Amino acid sequence: MTDLLPVVVVHGGAGFIPKERLQLSISGVCAAVRTGHAILKGGGSSMDAVVETVIQLENNPAFNAGCGSVLNVKGEVEMDAIVMDGKTLASGAVSAVRNIANPIQLARLVMDKTSHACLTAEGANQFARSMGIEEVPQESLITEYSRMRWRKNLAPDANPVESQMGKAGTVGAVAVDLEGNVACATSTGGMLNKMEGRVGDTPIIGSGGYADNQSGAVSTTGHGETIMKITLARLILFHMEQGRSVEDASDLGLACMQSRLGGLGGVVTVDPQGHWAARFSSKQMSWAAAQRDIMHYGLYTGEHFTQSIN
Amino acid sequence: MSAVLVVHGGAWAIPDELAKASVDGVKTAACEGFSVLKRGGSAVDAVEVAVRALEDNTVFDAGHGAVLNKDGEVELDAIIMDGRTLATGAVSSVKNIANPVSLARAVMEKTSHVMLTSQGANLFAESIGISTVPTETLVTEYERREWEKHKNYMTGVIEDFNTQWAHDTVGAVALDSAGNVACATSTGGIRNKMVGRVGDSPIIGCGGYADNFSGAVSCTGHGESILKVTLARLILSKIEQGKSVTEASQMSLQHMGNRVKGAGGAIVVSPSGHWAATFTTERMAWAAVEQDVL
Repeated sequence: MTDLLPVVVVHGGAGFIPKERLQLSISGVCAAVRTGHAILKGGGSSMDAVVETVIQLENNPAFNAGCGSVLNVKGEVEMDAIVMDGKTLASGAVSAVRNIANPIQLARLVMDKTSHACLTAEGANQFARSMGIEEVPQESLITEYSRMRWRKNLAPDANPVESQMGKAGTVGAVAVDLEGNVACATSTGGMLNKMEGRVGDTPIIGSGGYADNQSGAVSTTGHGETIMKITLARLILFHMEQGRSVEDASDLGLACMQSRLGGLGGVVTVDPQGHWAARFSSKQMSWAAAQRDIMHYGLYTGEHFTQSIN
Repeated sequence: MSAVLVVHGGAWAIPDELAKASVDGVKTAACEGFSVLKRGGSAVDAVEVAVRALEDNTVFDAGHGAVLNKDGEVELDAIIMDGRTLATGAVSSVKNIANPVSLARAVMEKTSHVMLTSQGANLFAESIGISTVPTETLVTEYERREWEKHKNYMTGVIEDFNTQWAHDTVGAVALDSAGNVACATSTGGIRNKMVGRVGDSPIIGCGGYADNFSGAVSCTGHGESILKVTLARLILSKIEQGKSVTEASQMSLQHMGNRVKGAGGAIVVSPSGHWAATFTTERMAWAAVEQDVL
């Protein structure tokens, strides 16, 4: 155990965040990282920390997850999420799930209460019902902002991919607890105006996230299809397995994504010793980290603010 | 550049009564896929043709002959990947489609997405004129009986999954004369799975992966274990580090066995034409064609 533990790092999406939403994004990730930090300091597990952190971000309408999710082409909300436990490599994921407030919670239940690793669509909803998870009306997940962006992008000359880049982001977290166990969690409403049933990187193990006590944990954000094609989370950890630092491994993964496929994104990464990085190839990524009672956060490339967490 | 095609029809304890049909099935599919390569066709075309042949064959758990989920329905998963561009198409939990691998290819070529699930995948199929087939045409008597049997003592026993349960997912990898690699994997999943359960098959990096820089892989076996170690991508990472196709496969499968107690199999082809068919289950039906030798 090193004195770098515990640590939790959170992201609220990579891309371009419009000025009027910057404050919401930063305060959102900072508040969430405080939650994760408190759990870890109290001896809680990295899994508990990342799940509670992401639940908070899902409940925050400023992010593209849970409440505040972007809409698919039909104007409906379909959400994806994943959790992974670095100790056992156990994982739980849901894709295209509807009408629940906290997909990350459902993903964890898939991991803990079934012998499967991923449930999709109606099957995921059936499982939610069987677990007594409250079904919420779709309206409660839709914000004025997401409806406005959906309408705008229905126009034939609209470019949802470009428009998407970051204005509201996928959320995620990675953590290492006092026992040295790592975990990751990622949650999203997906891509703006996506086809019905479109599944991006988020619930895909190795792409939206991966956690392994032997190498570290990663949670990703950015252009989903591109992240999937290079299995970004797993790629970064391969680099770490070969001795690269958290920063170098993350940068290498993002560089491969950009040079090979022209895609932009961001990641939060930790290794089991507690080294962490928040890196992105897009213009911005709201992120926050908590370690040794200090909160770190930033938004633009190169930014790194710190303040006491209390 | 010498073309190569390798197919598998599942890694599990194939019972003797199915063994011959399984081997015949993979041999036929391999030949069909290889003839595409012989004509100068692409690796992507070849793997699609090979996997379609396996989907149409009721002996395997893909397309026709797929296992049933808990509700007695057929939900299919598939993936196809082009090693040249990393373009990928995948579908999960799609119903009433005879050839999910072709639908996956359509996702790759006709949409800006990589993966579609469930109803959305079916809507897309309709929109491009892929005909739906009634569930009954995909379900065999054998599978219906097996479903009945297991319905009664389904307790989610994880240990059993590994050894006794059928894992006859199908897949193919190919190297064409232009030096491009591709992979494809297709399945009905595991018998009596929960509704909406998605295994490794349609998950990029797990059920399959293809990259001209390192090779193409298609996996089969205990899905949840394959997912945990991202098996396809793991094998290719070892090839990237200089291991041979055989070593990379063996090491990765062993790792899966040690770390998460999962058994399975993989077929691999490298950009230089080396290939391997490796498995840690009792048996795996596979076939490879290289320079007209089966």
